[in-house]
Amino acid sequence: MVAATPGVRAWGPSGSENAGPNPPKAAYVVARVGEAVTVISVEEVSKEFRSWRRRVQALAGVSFEVRQGEAFGLLGANGAGKTTLVKILLGLAHPTSGRVTVRGMEPVRARARRRVGYLPEGHRFPGYLSGEAAMRLFGRLAGLDEATIGRRTRELLALVGLSDRGGDRISRYSKGMTQRLGLACALLDEPEVLFLDEPTDGVDPVGRRHIRDVLLDAKAAGTTIFINSHLLSEVERTCDRVAILHQGRLLREAGVDDLTHPSQRFRIRLEERQHAPLELLARFGAVTLDGHIEVAVPDLPTLNHLLDELRSQRLLIAEVTPQRAALEDVFIELVREERGA
Amino acid sequence: MKVWALVVDTWREALARYTLLGFVIVSSLFMLMLTFALNLDIVDGTLAAGSLFGRAFDLPGGTPIETVVTTGESAFAAMLYGLGIFLAVFATGSQVPNLVHRGTVDLYLSRPVSRPALLLGRFVGAVTLVLANLAFLCGGVFLIISLKTGVWNLRLLAAGGMIALVFCSYLGFMYLIGVLSGSTPLSIMLPYAIYVLAMPLAAHDHIAAVADSRLAAWTVHGLYWLLPKSVELGRDVVQLVMGKGGLSVTALATTLVFGLGCLAAAVAVFQRRSY
Repeated sequence: MVAATPGVRAWGPSGSENAGPNPPKAAYVVARVGEAVTVISVEEVSKEFRSWRRRVQALAGVSFEVRQGEAFGLLGANGAGKTTLVKILLGLAHPTSGRVTVRGMEPVRARARRRVGYLPEGHRFPGYLSGEAAMRLFGRLAGLDEATIGRRTRELLALVGLSDRGGDRISRYSKGMTQRLGLACALLDEPEVLFLDEPTDGVDPVGRRHIRDVLLDAKAAGTTIFINSHLLSEVERTCDRVAILHQGRLLREAGVDDLTHPSQRFRIRLEERQHAPLELLARFGAVTLDGHIEVAVPDLPTLNHLLDELRSQRLLIAEVTPQRAALEDVFIELVREERGA
Repeated sequence: MKVWALVVDTWREALARYTLLGFVIVSSLFMLMLTFALNLDIVDGTLAAGSLFGRAFDLPGGTPIETVVTTGESAFAAMLYGLGIFLAVFATGSQVPNLVHRGTVDLYLSRPVSRPALLLGRFVGAVTLVLANLAFLCGGVFLIISLKTGVWNLRLLAAGGMIALVFCSYLGFMYLIGVLSGSTPLSIMLPYAIYVLAMPLAAHDHIAAVADSRLAAWTVHGLYWLLPKSVELGRDVVQLVMGKGGLSVTALATTLVFGLGCLAAAVAVFQRRSY
C-alpha cells in the first residue's frame, strides 16, 4: 500500500481509498466530440512494411477516437496490426498514410510523449540495470527531477510488489517481475495516457488481478488507458470500449456493454435434486449444463411457456438468469463472419 | 539531464559487462610492468644503462635521455594507436545493436526524448568512456616515465587525444552500421575491415598508376579520400610524440569528416526508421 501524497496519484492494489487527488492536467489542444474530449485520434491510418522481397499491409485505413478517462481495448488475433498501431500512436513507427494525434499532438514529436506511459509487448530492459536503476534512467529520460524520481520509484516499486527486489539486477527477475517493473516504469511520470501492449502477458493469475486493480485505479484517477490484448476476458473487465482489428482493418468499434448486451439466452436453476424431463427440454432446444438448464429462446413468451411447462411438471424454479454474450464469443463471431465474407 | 542519463547508462553498461574493468586491469598491468620492470640509470642527462625485465638495452653509450624517452613513448603510442582502437571498437561495438533491439528501443523511444538526442547521448557516453580509458593509460604511462626520467614529454598526451579523435571517426561508422543492421558482429567487423582496407590505399597514387582503367584509378583515389587514413594517422601519432613536424592535417580532417558523415547518416536513418 502506498500512501497518497498531495498532488501525487498513488495507486493501491485494491481500492479507491489509495487513489490520491487527480493531478492537474497539462494544457493541450484537443478536439471535442460532443462533450467528451478526444485524447487519441486515429484517422485513416495505413501502414505498409516494404522489403525488397515483399510488401505487408499491416494496417488499412483504420480510424477511431478515444476519449479522455476512457479505458479502450484494441482486440485482434496475432498479426492483426495491434502492436503496429500502438507503435504508431507512440511515434515508434511512422504511418504510410493517415494521421494520428495524442492529446492533439503528433506523437513523433518528443514533447508529445510527456506524461505518456507505455508498457511494450515483449519489452527487454537492459539486464545490467537493477529495477531501481531502470526507474532512475527512464525517469531522467522523461525529464523528471531526482527527488521526484526517488519518490516515485519507492512508491511504484511498492505498488507492483518489487520493493525488496528493487536493487537486484533485472537479468535475475522472472518474466512476471519484469512485467511488473515495466508497469511501474510506464506509470513513472504520472501519465495522462497509458498504453499497454499485452500487459498481463506471462503474469500469473494473482499478478494479473493486481495489474488489473492498478489499471482500474489509474482509470478512476482520470488516466486514459489504451490496452492492446488478445486476453479478451481481461479487456472485458477493464475497458469501456473496444475496437476489433482483423488483418489490419477495423471490424467493429463499440462499448463493451453494447457488444455483450444480454442475449436471448437464459439459465434456469431448479430446486436441488430436481430434474426436468429430457423430452421437454428437447422440445425447446434446451440443454442441461452443470446442473442448470440453458436455453436460447426467440422471445419472452417462449421462455414463459417453457417455465409453465416445467411448473406443470411440479418442478420448482429457483432462479432464471439472462446470459450475456462474452466478449470472446462476440470477437470470434465477428472474425468468423469476416473470414466467411 | 537526458544526455547525462544516457552517458551514465553507457558507463553502467560498460561496468556491468566488465568492459571498464578489463580496460583498467590491462592498463594497470602495463603500468605496473613499466614501474617495476623498467630500470634506467641516468648520468648527466644521458642513459648510462637500462634494462626491461632484467634484460639490458642495446643502446650506444651516451644516448641523451630525451631521445630514449621519446623513442620509447613513440613506440608505446604506435602500439596504443593500433591496439587501443582495436579494443575500443570491440568494447563499444554492441552499443547501438543493443539499443535498437526490439523490446529495448521501445522503452527508450517512448520517453519524451528525441531520436537524435538518444543516439548522440549514447555517442557522447562511448566517447567519454574511451577518453577516460585513454587518459588513464596515457596519463599513467606519461607520469611513470616522466617521474623516472625527469623528461616531461607532453606530446604523448596530445597523441592520446589524436587517437581519441581517430576512434571517434570509427565510432561514427559503427553507429551507422549498428543503426542499419542492428548486428553486433557487423558493427565490430566492418570498422576493422575499413581500417585494414585503408592501409594499402596509403599508396593510392602508385595503385592508380598501374590500374587498367580510368574508372579503377578514380575508385582507388575515391576510396582513399573517403575512408579514414589509418597509415598516415599512425605515422602522425609517432611523429607527434617524437616532436617531428610534417603532420598531415588533411589526413586527420578527412578522417574526421568520414566519422561525422557516418554519424549524421546514422542519425538520419534512426530518425526515419520504424521500430
